[in-house]
Amino acid sequence: MDDTKFGTHNKRGDFTPNEPAEVAPIWNFPPRPLAILKWLPGYFLPWNLLWTASAFAWWAWVVPDKATMTSLSWGWVLWLFAVNAVAVFLFYGALELHLYVRRAQGTRFKYNAKWPSEHKSTAFMFQSQTIDSIIRAFGSGVPIWTAWEVLVLWAWANDIGPWVGLMDNGWYLFAVWLFLPVLHEVHFFLIHRLIHTPFLYKWVHSVHHNSVNPSPWSSLSMHPVEHLLYFATAAYHFIIPSHPILAIYQLNFAGFGAVVGHIGFDKMEVTEDKGVDSHAFIHYLHHKYFEVNYGDGLIPLDKWFGTFHDGTKQGDAQMNARYQRRKAKANAKANAKANA
Amino acid sequence: MTSWIDACGLDDIEEEGVRRFDHQGRTFAVYRMAGDEVFCSDVLCSHEAVHLSEGMVMDYEIECPKHSGIFDIRTGEAKRLPACINLRTYPARVDGTRVKIEI
Repeated sequence: MDDTKFGTHNKRGDFTPNEPAEVAPIWNFPPRPLAILKWLPGYFLPWNLLWTASAFAWWAWVVPDKATMTSLSWGWVLWLFAVNAVAVFLFYGALELHLYVRRAQGTRFKYNAKWPSEHKSTAFMFQSQTIDSIIRAFGSGVPIWTAWEVLVLWAWANDIGPWVGLMDNGWYLFAVWLFLPVLHEVHFFLIHRLIHTPFLYKWVHSVHHNSVNPSPWSSLSMHPVEHLLYFATAAYHFIIPSHPILAIYQLNFAGFGAVVGHIGFDKMEVTEDKGVDSHAFIHYLHHKYFEVNYGDGLIPLDKWFGTFHDGTKQGDAQMNARYQRRKAKANAKANAKANA
Repeated sequence: MTSWIDACGLDDIEEEGVRRFDHQGRTFAVYRMAGDEVFCSDVLCSHEAVHLSEGMVMDYEIECPKHSGIFDIRTGEAKRLPACINLRTYPARVDGTRVKIEI
């Protein structure tokens, strides 16, 4: 595909799409029905339906029968861990292999023209972003994800929590399914703001931000404390009347869905002239600029709190104004220390 | 008291390039732009003390190789997060085929 029809490359070769990043148009006032209709397919496709299908597949073929899960035993716990690990390996691995190892579309639509594998950095174990990310994903990411899954399923098997039968109230559960991405967004925004406070940033979240040029494996490259908070979205199913399939959907949304913001490309080419929107731009800007876009844009939380960056020069100017204030403060403090 | 020190040969640095120079326990970054303009600054990123000599120089800016913080090599001004604190800069000039810095 000719990516110059969709955006521009700067002198460094970094791609910026022509269309600014936007929050979901459902929040516009006055309402823009046509914009909502245009946006709606992208809300479900490709990602949300994929995570939903994965949840049903887990329920049908992976989750053991209820009697087995009434007690905790290594057998079914390790089985769930193994399936999650293999799925992550295949899904993340396939994207990484296609886009970053085979480089099937080169740097077309690539936000950062550099390739992480070509830049050794002491920020990472073995000086490799990829190796470091894989170790963190399988060392604590998938285990903590599975631990939340086990907790939910064990609770359901023991009738602990406000569980609703799948056939008892299908329309209600459908409404919950529609709402869960919103819940994920609010949860993600809140914990993300929390781990950007100086102490938690230094000791926890800086691990994730070492990937300034993220690739699919960066998605779960987090400190274990961040994994614990990130996958805590499952805990809402102990409050909201729900079904374990929806809890699995919520976890898969977080686990597999993390890849969406870290693909590093604006579009994934499918044919010579067709590509799939990655929806990665908003979170890419967060990795690039650190203190913008704490959410993913489904809800305009960043707009409300003044931290939204849409990738345009105007967005740069707003961010820069905040940066100049912060910089003045930091330099005044550093100068005072030097002169003391 | 400052004095002019021989840092390196002009040809030791590529155009739009940077070279590390160590002197009496201190470490500096010496930059060369097109047209043989040269500059000098402290070499450790003010964010996490990473050597900027591994970074990319472009348009009078150096990008830190670790977190992509950016500094203006002419003034040392931090230009992009996570770098906030400016770098100290030093006078630099070309003397024949050599680069001298005043420290």
